[in-house]
Amino acid sequence: MTLVNLLLLAAAVFAIGLYGVLARRHAIGVLLSIELMFNAVNLAVVSISWSKGLLAGVVLVLFGIAITVAEIAVGLALVLLASRVGKSVILDDLSELKG
Amino acid sequence: MKDLAFIGLAACLIAAAFAVVTARSLFRAAYALSAVLVTTAGFYLLLSAPLLAAVQILLYTGGVLTLVVFALVVAGANTEGARWRRPVPAALTSAAVFLALAATARRIPATAPLEGLESGKGVGVLLFHDYLVPFELLSVLLLGAVFGALLLARKDRPE
Amino acid sequence: MTDALIVLAGPLAAFAALALLPPLRRSGRPAAWISLAGIGVSLVAAVALFARIHAAGVPQVAEIVWAPMTKGPSISFGLLADGVSASMAVLVAFIALLVQVYSLAYMSDEKPAAFGRYYAYHSLFAFAMLGLVLAHNLLQTYVFWELVGLGSYLLIGFWFEKPAACRAALKAFWTTRLGDVGFAIGIVVLWSSAGTFTFTELFAKADGGALGGTALVLGVAGIYLGAMGKSAQFPFHIWLPDAMEGPTPVSALIHAATMVAAGVYLMVRIAPLLAHTPQVATVVFSIGVLTACLAASMALVESDIKRILAFSTVSQLGFMMAACGAGAASAAYFHLVTHAFFKALLFLAAGSLIHAAHTNDIFKMGRLARLMPVTCACFAAGALALSGVFPTAGFFSKDEVLASVLAAGHPIGFSILLATAGMTAFYIGRAFFVSMLGARTTEGHPHEPPTAMKAPLIALAVFAVGAGVAAPFIPGLFAASIAPPAEAAGHASMLVPLLGTTAALLGLALAFAGYQRRGFDPAAVRRALQPLVTVLERRWYVDDVFEAGYRFAYLRISSAVGWLDRYVVDGVVNAVTWATWLGAGRLTALQNGRVQDALYATALGLVVLAWLAWAR
Repeated sequence: MTLVNLLLLAAAVFAIGLYGVLARRHAIGVLLSIELMFNAVNLAVVSISWSKGLLAGVVLVLFGIAITVAEIAVGLALVLLASRVGKSVILDDLSELKG
Repeated sequence: MKDLAFIGLAACLIAAAFAVVTARSLFRAAYALSAVLVTTAGFYLLLSAPLLAAVQILLYTGGVLTLVVFALVVAGANTEGARWRRPVPAALTSAAVFLALAATARRIPATAPLEGLESGKGVGVLLFHDYLVPFELLSVLLLGAVFGALLLARKDRPE
Repeated sequence: MTDALIVLAGPLAAFAALALLPPLRRSGRPAAWISLAGIGVSLVAAVALFARIHAAGVPQVAEIVWAPMTKGPSISFGLLADGVSASMAVLVAFIALLVQVYSLAYMSDEKPAAFGRYYAYHSLFAFAMLGLVLAHNLLQTYVFWELVGLGSYLLIGFWFEKPAACRAALKAFWTTRLGDVGFAIGIVVLWSSAGTFTFTELFAKADGGALGGTALVLGVAGIYLGAMGKSAQFPFHIWLPDAMEGPTPVSALIHAATMVAAGVYLMVRIAPLLAHTPQVATVVFSIGVLTACLAASMALVESDIKRILAFSTVSQLGFMMAACGAGAASAAYFHLVTHAFFKALLFLAAGSLIHAAHTNDIFKMGRLARLMPVTCACFAAGALALSGVFPTAGFFSKDEVLASVLAAGHPIGFSILLATAGMTAFYIGRAFFVSMLGARTTEGHPHEPPTAMKAPLIALAVFAVGAGVAAPFIPGLFAASIAPPAEAAGHASMLVPLLGTTAALLGLALAFAGYQRRGFDPAAVRRALQPLVTVLERRWYVDDVFEAGYRFAYLRISSAVGWLDRYVVDGVVNAVTWATWLGAGRLTALQNGRVQDALYATALGLVVLAWLAWAR
C-alpha cells in the first residue's frame, strides 16, 4: 500500500467515473458517475494526507463531502423539476444552448 | 496484512465502479455506488481516518444515496435511454486521462507514512481554529442548497 | 525669344480663359472673339519671329532647365526657332486663323455653349500644334504631339451625340496612339544611346559617330512609327477617312494642313538622323509611295466629297513621305506648305458646298457653278493646285518631289507617283465637274456663303496659286535651319515638269470627257470593273483586317482574362468562402449544447496539460 498504488487506484476510479459521465445518457446516471469521480479524488487527497502526515487533507475531504451533498441535493431537485414539468431527463435532449 | 486488505478493497472498488458506469438499470447503478462508497470508507479506515470513514458512511451513503434512490423512483429510470452515447471516444478519453494522472502520480515523491495520525480531536481543532471561516461559509452554503432545492422542487401554487 | 513665347501664349491664354470660365465659354460669340484674338496675336508674333530669324540667318534656341539632374542630362523646356519651324509656325497660325474665321459662319447654327466649346478646342489645338512646331527636343515634341492628338479627338468628336462621330474620334485616337507607342520607344532608345533629347545634340552625335548602329536605326524607326500614325501612312491611314465626321472646318485645319502634317514635319526635323539610316529611309519611301497610290485609288470611287478630299490628303502625305525617304527634306517641306494651302482651300470650299446643298454627296449636287461663282472659282483653283498644273503652287511642289525622287535613283517609285498624280487629277476633276457643272440640280436653292466663309476661301486661293512664286526661296529657309540639307536636285532637265504636267492634264481630260461631255460612260466602266471597284470601296479591306485582328487578339485576350478572373481570382475567393463554410459547419457541431461533449474538451485539455508538464 504505497502512495503511488493508492493514487493509481484513485486515478483508475476517476477514469472510470469519467467514462460514465461521458457515456451515460440519463441525467441521474451522469450524477452517479460524478459521485464516483468525486470519491476518487477524496481517496487521493486522503492518501496524500496520510503519506505526508497532515490532517489538512482530511478536513478538506470533510468539506468536500459536505459540498457534494449540497450539490447532489440541488441537482436532484432539478431533475425532479424537469421530470415533473414534462421535459426529458435525457441529457442529449436538453440542448437549447447550442450554436 | 494491510496490503492484502488493500488489494481486496481495491478489487471491490474497481468492480463496483465498473458496475456504476455500466449498469443498465439505474437502480443497479445506485446500489453499486453505495458499494463504492462503503469500500472507500474501508480505505479511509486503512488510512487511519476513522472519523472520515464514519462521515462517509453516514452522510454519503446514508444521505446522498437515499436521495438518489428517491429521485430515481420519482423521476423514473427510463431504460430506453440506457444505450451509451459515443462509448469508444469516451473510453479512449478516460484511458488518456488515466494515463495522464498516472504519469502525474509517479512523480510524487513517497515519504514514510505516519500511523495513528488522525483523531477526532485533531480534526476538531483544525476545523475550529485554522479553518473556521470555511466552516462557517460551508454552513451558509448548505443553507443555500436547502433553500434552492426546496424552491426548485415544490409544486407551483396557482397565484 | 519673346515673340516665340507670344506665339505659344496667345492660344494658350485663350484656351485657359475659355476652359476656366464657363460663363464666358457658354456665351457663344464672345468665346469666338477670344479665341480669334488669341490666334491673331499668335500669327502676328509668328510673322515677327519669322522675319527676325530670316534676317538673322541663324537658328535661335531658348532653353529653360526644368528638371535638373545630377546624373545624366537634365530635362529642359526649350524653343527652337529656325527657318523651318518659324515658317511652319506662320503657316499653322495663319490657317488656324482662317479656319476660325470661317467657323464663325459655318458653325453659327450651334448653340452658344457648343459654339464656345468649339472655339476652346480650337485654341487648345492651336497651342498644341505650335508647341510641337517650336519644340527643341524630342520629349517636348512628344508632349505636344499627344496634346495635338487630344485636340484632334475632341474636335472630331465635337458632335458627340452622333455615335459615328464618337467612333471616328476613338478610331483616330487609337490608331495614332499605336504609332505613338513606337514614337515613345524610339525616343527612349535614342536617349539611352545618346543621352540627350535635344535635336541639335542628337544631330551632332549622329554626325560625329557617337550615335549610330542599331540604336539609331531603332530610334529613327520608332519615331517614324509615330509619324506614320499621325500622317496616315499605310496601314495607319484608316482613321483619316472616318475622321470626316467632324465639322468641315476641323477637317480643313487638322486633316489637311496641320495635324497630319505634323508627322511629315517631324520627319523633316530629323532628316539628319534619317540620312544616317538608309534602311529606315527606304522603308519610309516605299510606304510613302504605296500610301500615295493606294489612297488615290480609293478616292476614285468615292462620292462623298469630304471622303474624296480625305483620301486625297492621305495620298499627298504619301508624296511628302516619299520625298523624305528619298532624302529630299526640302521638297517634302515645300509640298507640305503648298498642300496646306490648297487642301485647306478645297475643304473649306467643300464646306461651302455642303452648307449650300445640305448634302455631302457630289452626285446630289450640280450646276453649282452658276449659283456660287466665287466658291466655284476657289474650288477650281484648289483643284488645279492639287493636280499640279502650272503655274499653281502645287505644280512647283509636286515637281520638286517627283524630281528628287527620280534623282535619288528610284525609277519605279517615280513611275508609280507619276501615275498617282494622274489619278489625283482625275478624281479631283471628277469631283469638280460633277458638283459644279454636272447635270443634276440640287434641292432647295443653294447660294453663296456669307462673307465670313468667303474671305478665307479667297485668301487661300490666292496663296494656293501664288505660293509657287516662293519656290526659289524654300532652300533659303533651310539655310537658316539647324540642319541644312544637301542641295536639292536642280532642275537639270525639263523632263520631270513635262511628265508631271502631262499626267495632270491627262487626268483632268479624262474626267472632263467622262463627266462633262459623256465621252464615255463612267457608270458602265464602273460596272465593268465591279470587282476592282468593290475592293476600292471596301478600302482594300484594311479596316477589315484591323477589325479581324482586333476581334481575334483583343477579344480573345479579354475572354481569357475574363475566364481567369471568374475562375482563378474569384475561384480563390470562392474557395476561401467554401472552406470557411465547411469549417464553420464542422465547428458548429462542436457547439451542440450538450454538456457531455464539452467535457471531452476539458478531459483532453487535462491530458494535454499533463503531457506538457511531464513528457518534455
